Amino acid sequence: CHGDLDQFPIDPDSFTEQDVFANATEAKGALAKLYASLALTGQDGGDGGNADITDIEQGFSQYTRMLFNLNELTTDHGVVGWGDSGLPDLHGMYWTGSNSFTGAMYLRLAQQVSFCNSFITNAEGLSDAEAQTFIAEARFLRAFAYYNLIDFYGSVPLVTKITTDLPSQASRTELFNFVETELLEVKDLLPDAKGNEYGRVDKVAAWALLSKLYLNADVWTGTDRYSDCVAYSNDVINSSYAINTVDANGNGTAYDELFLADNNSNGAQNEFIFLVNFDGKQSTTYGGSTFLIHAAIGGTMDPTEFGVNGGWGGNRVTKNLVNKFETGDQRGMFYTDGQNLEIESIPQFSEGYACTKFKNIDSNGEQGNDKTGEFTDVDLALIRLPEIFLNYAEASLRGGGGDMNTAVTLINQLRERAYGDASGNISAADLDLQFVLDERSRELYWEGQRRTDLVRYNFFTTANYLWPFKANQKNGTSTDPFRNIFPIPNNTISTNPNLIQNPGY
Amino acid sequence: TVTGMVSETDTNIPIAGVNIIVKGTTTGTVTDFDGNFSLSVSQGNVLQFSYLGFVTQEITYSGQAPLNVQLVEDTSVLDEVVVIGYGAVKKEDVTGAADLVTDKDFNQGPVVSAPQLIQGKVAGVSVTSSSGAPGDGQEIRIRGNSSLSLNNNPLVVIDGIPLDQGGIGGSRNPLNMVNPNDIESMTVLKDASATSIYGSRAANGVIIVTTKKGKDGDFKFNLSSLTSVGSPIDKVDVLNADEFRNIVMNHPQANATTLSLLQDYDTDWQDEIYGSAFGQDHSFSATGKAFGVPMRASISYTDFEGILKRDNFKRTTGALSLTPKLFDDHLKIELNARGTYTENAFGNRDAISSANSYAPTQPIYDSSLPYGGYSSWIDPATGLEPSLANTNPVALLNLKDDVAEVRRFIGNAKFDYNLHFFPDLTATVNAALDKSNSHGRVITSELMPTTDPTWNGARTSFRNESTNNLFDAYLTYNKTLNEAHKLTVVGGYSYQSFEYDNYSYDSELEERGNTYEFIDKSKNVLLSYFGRLNYGYDNRYLLTATLRADASSKLNPDNRWGYFPSVALAWNMHNENFLEDSSVLNELKLRVGYGEVGNVNGLGDYQFLTRYLGSQSNANYQFGNSFYQTYRPDPINPDLRWEIGNTLNVGLDYSLLNRRISGSFNAYIKQTKDLIAFASVDPFTNFGSRIDKNIGDMENKGVEFAINVIPVRTDDFEWSVSYNIALNDNQITDLPFDQVTGGISGGVGNNIQLHTEGEAPYSFYVFQQIYDNNGKPIEGAFVDRNGDNVINDADKYVHKNPYADVIMGLNTNLTYKNWDLAIITRANIGNYAYNNVASGNSYLNGVIPTTNNFLWNIHSDYLYTGFKNQTDNNFLSSHFIEDASFFKLDNITLGYTLNDAVKDASIRLYGSVQNLLTITDYNGLDPEINGGIDNSFYPRPRTIVLGLNVGF
Repeated sequence: CHGDLDQFPIDPDSFTEQDVFANATEAKGALAKLYASLALTGQDGGDGGNADITDIEQGFSQYTRMLFNLNELTTDHGVVGWGDSGLPDLHGMYWTGSNSFTGAMYLRLAQQVSFCNSFITNAEGLSDAEAQTFIAEARFLRAFAYYNLIDFYGSVPLVTKITTDLPSQASRTELFNFVETELLEVKDLLPDAKGNEYGRVDKVAAWALLSKLYLNADVWTGTDRYSDCVAYSNDVINSSYAINTVDANGNGTAYDELFLADNNSNGAQNEFIFLVNFDGKQSTTYGGSTFLIHAAIGGTMDPTEFGVNGGWGGNRVTKNLVNKFETGDQRGMFYTDGQNLEIESIPQFSEGYACTKFKNIDSNGEQGNDKTGEFTDVDLALIRLPEIFLNYAEASLRGGGGDMNTAVTLINQLRERAYGDASGNISAADLDLQFVLDERSRELYWEGQRRTDLVRYNFFTTANYLWPFKANQKNGTSTDPFRNIFPIPNNTISTNPNLIQNPGY
Repeated sequence: TVTGMVSETDTNIPIAGVNIIVKGTTTGTVTDFDGNFSLSVSQGNVLQFSYLGFVTQEITYSGQAPLNVQLVEDTSVLDEVVVIGYGAVKKEDVTGAADLVTDKDFNQGPVVSAPQLIQGKVAGVSVTSSSGAPGDGQEIRIRGNSSLSLNNNPLVVIDGIPLDQGGIGGSRNPLNMVNPNDIESMTVLKDASATSIYGSRAANGVIIVTTKKGKDGDFKFNLSSLTSVGSPIDKVDVLNADEFRNIVMNHPQANATTLSLLQDYDTDWQDEIYGSAFGQDHSFSATGKAFGVPMRASISYTDFEGILKRDNFKRTTGALSLTPKLFDDHLKIELNARGTYTENAFGNRDAISSANSYAPTQPIYDSSLPYGGYSSWIDPATGLEPSLANTNPVALLNLKDDVAEVRRFIGNAKFDYNLHFFPDLTATVNAALDKSNSHGRVITSELMPTTDPTWNGARTSFRNESTNNLFDAYLTYNKTLNEAHKLTVVGGYSYQSFEYDNYSYDSELEERGNTYEFIDKSKNVLLSYFGRLNYGYDNRYLLTATLRADASSKLNPDNRWGYFPSVALAWNMHNENFLEDSSVLNELKLRVGYGEVGNVNGLGDYQFLTRYLGSQSNANYQFGNSFYQTYRPDPINPDLRWEIGNTLNVGLDYSLLNRRISGSFNAYIKQTKDLIAFASVDPFTNFGSRIDKNIGDMENKGVEFAINVIPVRTDDFEWSVSYNIALNDNQITDLPFDQVTGGISGGVGNNIQLHTEGEAPYSFYVFQQIYDNNGKPIEGAFVDRNGDNVINDADKYVHKNPYADVIMGLNTNLTYKNWDLAIITRANIGNYAYNNVASGNSYLNGVIPTTNNFLWNIHSDYLYTGFKNQTDNNFLSSHFIEDASFFKLDNITLGYTLNDAVKDASIRLYGSVQNLLTITDYNGLDPEINGGIDNSFYPRPRTIVLGLNVGF
């Protein structure tokens, strides 16, 4: 009977490594997990169980939702009225090393590194050519995770193989070098532009991520790399990706199509360099676009206009964002009925304008796939072409050697789309760093970029730029510069004595 | 007239207070202090001499002068047998902390499951029902919590079959499978020297349930029958319609739309969802000898309603026990078969929280709406129930049908063969099967208010099967040498396997085109060798040593085997020369025991293996136009080892004054090492953020004292009192990281409890509320405990915990002639509860939600605090941690026995009231809350019982 002690899983959903890496066809399911890890929260849909991250409510652990929380809610772009544990701390800028949101992002990104490491090692055993592409994609996704880790946490462990040895931190520069080296290698291993399936990355994604990396090099390593930023931005700009100019719903601008339920096919997909896919029936979570849409609806807003069954009454914007838009700029999509521009108290939904940027309806006005109105189809771009346009302009202004006229032309492409005509176009004289930052706000608000931008401009913690309830003061105030990066989770620190907490926490 | 003296046989010491009665008359007397008596009698009268603790003697008067009588000590008290696992010992020979409760001491009243029988009876054992629902489970804790990730439930062994410690789908409580009337005794093994024979599963103590068996002699029949009615005692203190209307009308966010929502009704939603609960319980048993085989058969039927409407528990049990003895009693066979069929109808408990928050100004019914006549909030945009709105509690209750039926069979065949050629040796084989099968389904009506425009009703169903096979084989060697050396050695082998096969179905997923059938299977095996040596010298010195080796399939082959030893010594001081002659002391035993036990109870299977989990079809990922099932590597821990508990126990058992005073005292230290916790890992080194791993230590130390006193005992009147008190201090002594736990209602992801080094597990972790001069909490004002001028997580502190420092039970029984009266009381001191009903729902802002299309009632605590905002800090305020110490008058039972009303039958009628009185400062419904978080608690009813027992 001693042999009976060797029990193996008998559950039909449990697989062995041999099953999963039997061939490239099977391994594609493991590759899909690497992408899904940025879109979903676990192996059951609707955050219904088998969560990837167990330290936070499952729906909260979704990557783009956390990206919104950490990079938008901490800034002038957003406030949230809910009393969820640790959430008010974000806009108030009083988070600690125990904050579940700053902590969960660390856990998700580090876990993504582990998933990728394991995938790369196992897929190396496959001989199929397709598997080589898979590996390049996994290396891209790992580089993307590290790009985020550098941005959020500064110095974290650099781990490239599955091991149980407790790692030590690598410096921000070492991490930067790793991401750079990896991207430089995989850019030639990935398929050509638009040569991969929708939802999977190609060469252009590697170039675009390099552009983002180099733009922030000065902050992260102390050495600026603006000319490299310009070079890789250029490669992206000259690729077959193009900004969407199809006003599919005929409302006068081709901008809002980027955030509709059919943005995988209405033309928006042409500018999505790297994205996460959602589907109201088959890829479901309470994070992702489901969160962005539901959470923004409250007050007198009609949820059916957004293709959903109701509002959660959470997110709004501060007046700083609203005031960045001039008349005619159709990118400023706000709901004002019953809403006050000035925020007196954050918990009330009526304080601050609501935001109508994301909608679960398609270009024909039809609701997404899920007719219950619960989950949405809107895909979210993690990198889309306009960001690279703005990278080009900013890097050029910062001495990267790009062509200013090109920069103006690129920005005017965005503004023509925004205004529906050339009325908002700028001239070279208008273009300065402050303008680019404001244009980034206008073009990319609520897309998970803002904190990184403010840090790069040294606006995030300083008194150089204030917004309502910055650092928990009604009119905003400065706070300690250590808050430019987030703490490593206290729990992770206590499990790994090699780790040193970020200063100030 | 006869005179004489009564003395003790062994010592010739006179006995005072002996009852002497002329048999068949009411004439009698008692002996004086010197044992002397005198009584008028006639020749041929039979005199009956009786005294507690001695064998009653009858002497026919034939002119003896003087009539001196010697009474013999009744050793049957000492011969009481205690089952200790793979054997039994006489009570006098027990060396560990073991408490025996027999059926005559069991609690009465509407008892559905075994643990209720001993609630409040055993020092250091707390039994807390998880709610007031009929048949719901109990949390049983023996000497506190000793584990974090693993379960803290004791092992329950029924007739030698260790039960699976997990739950069964559709069953309210796995222990419901035994009809309490079938139980003869329950032995609680508390310290490791007593439990370690059960090795790895005994970490939290063992409760051994012995069922009634057949007896020699004529058939005896017993009928027990009761009917009961339960009713709610109290209600959650929420705003009434007038208070609510007033608050809405003066609300800063109120506008025309809001005010138009307000109606003129005055609905007490709690009155609508609770009602009287009727119950009945009947059981019938027959005990005797048929065809030379002692047998007992019983059947029972139980039907209890819950006070939450539509809640119902029905159970039918049947049990048969045959205990033949063959070959001149050399082969003893014990065959037990027990079948239980349970039908549960679950009242929708969502109605409880909804009743606390649904606006009292709204009607129950509104025939203009498409919801089966029930009223509902309506979102004008969708024409449906608004998102986040609460649903009409009565609709929740009536439009959902949740039923399950559970079939369970437990049977075993045990053979004890006493070798013909070597009678000192007995070979035992016990084979058992515990199989359960449950089905259940939940139908939610298409009329149920919902936000979903495609709603057409829903059905989920499940089928669970669990199979637990047991095979034990052991040898017992029993030898007494020179009358002084008593030796018993047991050695054996045990195999047990647990297999689960669960299936579930979800119609909503089917309609969405997703996977709608789920299969969940697992199996684990436990294999063991065990041995025990009992040695007694001269009835004075006793030694018990045990060793158990356990291997579990849950652990990596390298860490699989655990060895759990124990040793215990006991000294029967009353058998020493210097005490043997004591007239005061009947028993004085000193015990010291030390033992180790392991634990992997509740640990998931296969955690040391690399496994990939496939995604469900609603969590697939899209590439191009295709969706792919994803494979995720599961978190892994190849290094899991046994969690080890060590207990040192020192105890004293005593009985005095002819056993009119008896009891025990225990002091213990229990240390759990290599505690398994769901612990953080560095996420760069694993596939998840947490895994179960061995980390940390925990300590429980405490003292227990129990005393039973019989202050009065005469022929007509007996009064007994028993009291027990236990002090336990539970502390995490080593934990490298803090672990938050205790999710609450209010916000998302808010936790109120913490495991941290130096504190009790499950300690509350809160912000320290600041109060104004009137003692009113100031909203948002908390003590800046670290003095950094910012109130954030770093200012939270550990403030109290839900476990009582002191647990007491006080019971008394009075019998006067044919009357009997029993009173059961309990008290817990030093336990705190988080009043989540108040904390989650007492904010002005909550009244008018942001979407402005419904209203929300709040808890009356608002009238005191005036809190406006639902913030994470407010939810976690120390204000809501309340002292939940209590004294409870659990039960009063008054009975009357008719001995001669029917020939050869004894009939007892009784009435009983359950849950009569609670004294507490706690503001919630009931201070006795499992786990200390009071949230939508299903209230315990007050129940009045009328019952009848007939024996013939």
